[in-house]
Amino acid sequence: MQPFDYYRPDGYKQAFGLLSDPDKTAVAIAGGTDVIPLTRDRHLQPDLVVDIKGLPGMRDLGLNSIEPCCGPGTGECLYVGAAVTMNELARSDVVQGSWPILADAAAAMGNEQIRNRATIGGNIGTASPAADSAPALYVLEACVLVKGLSGDRSIPIDRFFIGPRRHALKRGEIIAGLLVPRLPAGAIGHHEKLSRRKAGDLSIVSVAVLALPSDGHVDWRVALGAVAPTPVRAPQAEAALAKGHDAEHIDLAAAAAYGCSRPIADIRSGVEYRQAMIVNLVRRSVQSVVNRLPQA
Amino acid sequence: MLHEITLTVNGDPYVVAVRSHHTLLQVLREQLGITSPKRGCENGECGACTVIMDGLPVSSCMVLAAEADGANIETAEGLAEEGDLHPLQQAFLDHNAIQCGFCTPGMLMSSKALLDRTPHPSEDEIRHALVGNLCRCTGYVRIVDAVQDVAKES
Repeated sequence: MQPFDYYRPDGYKQAFGLLSDPDKTAVAIAGGTDVIPLTRDRHLQPDLVVDIKGLPGMRDLGLNSIEPCCGPGTGECLYVGAAVTMNELARSDVVQGSWPILADAAAAMGNEQIRNRATIGGNIGTASPAADSAPALYVLEACVLVKGLSGDRSIPIDRFFIGPRRHALKRGEIIAGLLVPRLPAGAIGHHEKLSRRKAGDLSIVSVAVLALPSDGHVDWRVALGAVAPTPVRAPQAEAALAKGHDAEHIDLAAAAAYGCSRPIADIRSGVEYRQAMIVNLVRRSVQSVVNRLPQA
Repeated sequence: MLHEITLTVNGDPYVVAVRSHHTLLQVLREQLGITSPKRGCENGECGACTVIMDGLPVSSCMVLAAEADGANIETAEGLAEEGDLHPLQQAFLDHNAIQCGFCTPGMLMSSKALLDRTPHPSEDEIRHALVGNLCRCTGYVRIVDAVQDVAKES
């Protein structure tokens, strides 16, 4: 690996300074499972590697009622520090209990060794369209908390990803954590990931579906990973399901989700296979949720 | 840039000067002479470099040595006690769960971490815990059998 200087800043201020040094290429590191192989392969050529996982709040995971939560309405929500690892998320009682779709998505990522290092902040910070946590975060309508020299801000997850490996962070800014709104009672979700191998592989297509039942009506959220330049919501699929979730509407929704994608061909899959699998996985995911919905 | 780090490996304390861009794997093998963690894919996919770091299995090729300051590291060298093989090592021998042996230290450490956390795992849990350890001699069945044997006995 090419030489670089490793720093463990003692606070955010020092971290911002290191990351915005005009004369140096600096990269933030938490779990390192993207930064280290990318640097080894010279896709990244940092002068400085800034280890942010020891900064205050970075490893916190739990309910938070102090910070206003994102989206409409405030209140108690889940705070996930950016340096919380995928296995910590997957195994957390709080996350499994109230946000199981997020625990499932985290558990689907990489392998045991990688999940023990890889962090949620890194998973979105790499901004891969195939980020395993992304479809779940999209249907949960999470927000990314960002800290920087010009202050703190909160970015809705679907505005954080702006292109393949491109995100909304400005130079010197750091992902501090994520806020995940509490779901209404009765919400049911399903996460599905298709890869070449059963585990330990990047996704070909991934799907997250969330149903929010209220007063005899069900609102649906559908998100897709690895089939467009960024993870995407599939609003036409959601609209189809809002009209009903019988077999006919599930087929319409699956076809509509296909229409919301713009897949590429890569080493993992061709375009046609990805398109066909979007239809199958959306259908399967919605059916799994429907099976658990209370009978009307 | 050099960093003086302290770490414990298999119960022994070390103070070692490491370069910023060197991985834990490099320092274990090249500076401390602890060579059971193997350099395989260097991409976090093969698991040959697996060590237990503060109780969790990690790919030591994906950890910078400087990040391991203060860490407690376990490798296959620390498994046997006073010449007696660890039950996992004995089970691997009994089941012939070794062919070329390159994956074995990583397999052992992933298995030990699993049993430390889940003393009686199902076959499914064993297979899941070993997803990140590749054996290109494809001796998986014997390896899973060996781990299952230890899980039953303990």
